[in-house]
Amino acid sequence: MTTVSHPPTAAQQHGSTAARLIIGIVLLYAGFLKATGPVAEFAALIQAYKIIPSDWAMVAAMLLPYLEMGLAMFLLAGFETRRSAMAAAGFFGLFILAIGSTFLRGINLASCGCFGPDTLNPKITILLDAALLAMCLWLARSDRHPLPLSIDHLLSSPSRRRS
Amino acid sequence: MKRIIIGLVLFALPAGVAQWAKRSDWGATQSAPQFRQKGSPKARLTIVEYSDFQCPSCAMIQPTVKTLLDAYPEKIRIVFKHNPLTSIHKNAYSAAIAAECAGIQGKFWLYHDRLFATQSQWATLRNATTMYASFANEIQLDAEIFNTCLSQPMTAEAIKSDVKEAKNRQVQSTPTFFIGETRLVGNYMVTDGARTIEKELRK
Repeated sequence: MTTVSHPPTAAQQHGSTAARLIIGIVLLYAGFLKATGPVAEFAALIQAYKIIPSDWAMVAAMLLPYLEMGLAMFLLAGFETRRSAMAAAGFFGLFILAIGSTFLRGINLASCGCFGPDTLNPKITILLDAALLAMCLWLARSDRHPLPLSIDHLLSSPSRRRS
Repeated sequence: MKRIIIGLVLFALPAGVAQWAKRSDWGATQSAPQFRQKGSPKARLTIVEYSDFQCPSCAMIQPTVKTLLDAYPEKIRIVFKHNPLTSIHKNAYSAAIAAECAGIQGKFWLYHDRLFATQSQWATLRNATTMYASFANEIQLDAEIFNTCLSQPMTAEAIKSDVKEAKNRQVQSTPTFFIGETRLVGNYMVTDGARTIEKELRK
């Protein structure tokens, strides 16, 4: 028995495009701020979660912002959208687990450093990440047809575009 | 092949822009009053500490700072800069003012130690003014001079100047230390402080 994938409705297309752009903009903004800021600041924040050793925290602080920005660009450009959405979902899932684990382990983040006004409250961060995670999963599920205004659409075969 | 190239371009574009926008130096520091400096005036290496009296981590790091000063006598000098994170610590600014006023009477470090040692007592108070006055009394400050100083524009200006400098140097967290030009934030001062001092002294 063959499974037929129905083309998305106009509303679904608009929704997927909006999701792609929102997630992309958030990731790009967050990644860019961290990439252009002092690595030591971000490393201290990562270290505060006490999940990875200090040296690894420094490496993570150097690499993560660029991964975020790269993923953001993929989503904004609509390139490998499903895979990018899944990867972004992975990111947000990891962030939620990391923050949630501090509550479970009784870690007071302030004991490792006081992070200034640009750092979101952990509870608000979890809510924001959960919303973005949900959007990523929805985008990954719904985007089985290349959307207009995307590189996937440009690169796909004419027959796929028409369907 | 096409997809690989597109992927690489999309990845490299923001990375390139970020590298271009990233600052390569963190700007100069203004000189701090003598009373906020500790260590030999002839020390080759200056360590600047941006701190917040209401920050628990800043309190916890003090023994490390003392250990480093003892370990490198004559070689390092600590300069304290105020960076009260007023958005999350509502008494931090007033504590900074009080400490600055203690400094004007030559007892900044005594007051600094007192504030950190009693942090949990005054941090949650709606108004910690009475506690600040009691600390001043304990270390035998002239009460009239101290109280007058608290409302002097010059005192507020000293704090604002440090905060502005911290902002220019993109210091967003406390404690942040600059050992020479190397920035260490929070617990990294504990793990990497000595190693960084050695590295800077070898330069």
